[in-house]
Amino acid sequence: MIGGIENRILLVSLISRPGQMSQEQVYTVASDSDTTGDERSSAPFPEIAIGIDIGTSQCSLAVWNGSQVELIRNTRNQKLMKSYVTFRDESPVGGVSDQLSHEYEMLSGSSVFNMKRLIGRIDTDPIVSQASKTLPFLIQTLGIGVKPFIAALVNNMWRSTTPEEVLAIYLVELKALAEVGVKRPVRNVVLTVPAAFSRFQLTRISRACAMAGLHVVRLMPEPAAVALLYAQQQRQLSVHDSGSEKVALIFNMGAGYSDVAIIVTAGGVSQMKGLAGSTVGGEDLLQNTMHYLLPDMENLFPNKIKSMGILRVAAQDAIHKLSSQSRVQIDIDLGNGIKICKIIDLEEFEEANKEVFEKCASLVTRCLQDSKVNVEHIDDVILVGGCTNIPKVKNMVMGICKKNKIYPGINPLEAAVRGAALEGALAAGVNDPLGSLDLLTIQVNAHSIGIRANRDSFVPIIARNTTMPARREVVFTTAHDHQTEALIVVYEGDEEVVDKNYLLGYFKVVGIPLAPRGKPEINVCMDIDASNMLRVMVGVLMPGEQNPVVPPLEVRMPTADDGNGLSADVLNRSFGSTLDLVTLHNKMSR
Amino acid sequence: MCCSHGFISRIPTTPPPLVSRQPHFSIPSTVRLPIATRTAKSFRTKSAAAATAVKDGSGSVSETVMEDLSFYQLLGIPETVTSVEIKQAYKQLARKYHPDVSPPGRAEEYTQRFIRVQEAYETLSDPNRRAMYDRDMAMGIHFAFSSRNHLRNDEHMVKSEWRGQWRSQLSELRRRSMHKESG
Repeated sequence: MIGGIENRILLVSLISRPGQMSQEQVYTVASDSDTTGDERSSAPFPEIAIGIDIGTSQCSLAVWNGSQVELIRNTRNQKLMKSYVTFRDESPVGGVSDQLSHEYEMLSGSSVFNMKRLIGRIDTDPIVSQASKTLPFLIQTLGIGVKPFIAALVNNMWRSTTPEEVLAIYLVELKALAEVGVKRPVRNVVLTVPAAFSRFQLTRISRACAMAGLHVVRLMPEPAAVALLYAQQQRQLSVHDSGSEKVALIFNMGAGYSDVAIIVTAGGVSQMKGLAGSTVGGEDLLQNTMHYLLPDMENLFPNKIKSMGILRVAAQDAIHKLSSQSRVQIDIDLGNGIKICKIIDLEEFEEANKEVFEKCASLVTRCLQDSKVNVEHIDDVILVGGCTNIPKVKNMVMGICKKNKIYPGINPLEAAVRGAALEGALAAGVNDPLGSLDLLTIQVNAHSIGIRANRDSFVPIIARNTTMPARREVVFTTAHDHQTEALIVVYEGDEEVVDKNYLLGYFKVVGIPLAPRGKPEINVCMDIDASNMLRVMVGVLMPGEQNPVVPPLEVRMPTADDGNGLSADVLNRSFGSTLDLVTLHNKMSR
Repeated sequence: MCCSHGFISRIPTTPPPLVSRQPHFSIPSTVRLPIATRTAKSFRTKSAAAATAVKDGSGSVSETVMEDLSFYQLLGIPETVTSVEIKQAYKQLARKYHPDVSPPGRAEEYTQRFIRVQEAYETLSDPNRRAMYDRDMAMGIHFAFSSRNHLRNDEHMVKSEWRGQWRSQLSELRRRSMHKESG
């Protein structure tokens, strides 16, 4: 295990799960003597949770102030704060309180950022290997399916850290800022997360919060938070007309991720019809643009960090300018005699990022198909996230939805955090006399969850876009004669080939009676409860019998830890196909 | 009902008598069932019994029928309703039973209720599935909550629905011919 804090965290075993309140211990990264949660759990009213939007590049805080949502500003009067942590000799500082003299300071090697892109990913993940080549701090990958080694440069020495630790340090600063803002201790938070996050990544976010002394009331997919804000606005607009339904498509593209949701709302009740997310965002645009400016950038620099920083800032600047002008002049000196003097126009930029835009388009199309909503029925198209300012992105979404006007009532950079703050008030049971909190969102899960079966196939048990809470079951059977044990390997994702999905955990079912293959019924049931906790239950039944042969197993997922890529290989090597399962109705159709 | 949740949970609805008819709900909310018991129960009632019912079409069918409410009863609507009315009934019950509006400590109970309501709504709001369900009901085989889930993987759905249908018809025929022989 890398990083001291991680070690200690494991010893106190505080994997915090959303919805489980108050009994876990608090671990604090910085000094934080005043918050123990106990005094507040006895309070007559539940604490209103603070909304936090942890963006790949920027973060923000908001809270329900009794009548509306208010954003909390830092001492420099900023509502949006840069997401990074700088490691120094003394204690690390994050972008909440820190003042950068120039952007280059963040790119000097001592600052770690983009933690939201890196958290919960293993070193075989293309996102990680791409980041290791272009980010100005150390991301070392062995390519064996374990957590990457991450370090920041302190006094010319690499000091190890983890995305969880970096996030926790940052969250401690946010917590302090929130406490100043609301003038009380803060413990409960609602965080927005990308729809693309796996359940394993969600546990990492919860862990980072626990390290910072925060309790996660809910992790909300970003478009779900925006949907809540929209539902509130629609409810206020149509107080006297609760019957008419509004259909909205929400597209969110930030620096790290993109997500889409389709929501139907009437009278404060919203049904999510579809939810989809992808790891494609502004960071990809940035890296493509850097490549475009200097195709051989990874091999060119002896003094990598400084030159990379200059290139990064120039590319970022160019992307911003290309949102409002058709061409931009780039003139930079990267040192070592490498100078770039180039004019890049909108067409070149769009060509260099063709793949990114195509991925976004297919995400929107897929979500529309899944939700079975006809584009003609869409009333509003809501665009949020910094990248939706890019003309190509805007045109793409509006084109697919056959709309020419973007929904005007939502601030694209504040919508997610405002929705999170609303949810924070709702979860605390706050009652607003004006009715602006009479909201209910019926959510769906973004990814299918299933097991490995039929050799190397992924068999979904709870399909994506299933309404939550949910309980589903599929009956499997043995693949071999006299097979007495079976391996249940649980994955999350939407790929047919099983190991392209996220491994959530695995366990063995034993005590299957001796029988020809295809006879025992292995019933795999999955259950997502109100707090989005996943349980997998497995029972073995013999045809004609009423009771399970052995006591059924119930396992909370995810159980896999950082080495999840490695363990899939080990399982495969150790057991091959000997403990395989096949779906029962496949057997019947033969 | 706790009024701190506002309008949504305070909507007056007339729910079907879930509590009295459903064994799962009669458990005092403060007592959490031991996990193994709950699991064993769900396997027995939902999958094994239903699976047996489908397979041999024997006495266990009526047992299953007795145990669960029909989807119409769950939503508290007559069998003649329009799809608009189904949606309205569903939304009203969602406001009442979604775990997000559950009183403190009763989330699990509400979750169970909501899952049933959701299942009923998903079936009845899809014209094809509703027609299938109505036909099954008319034949006395009514698939209550969850019993069809293992047949519902999207790509297999049409085929499996058909197969389930075909199997229940077969067993019905067999039952009749047995009846004839004995009579």
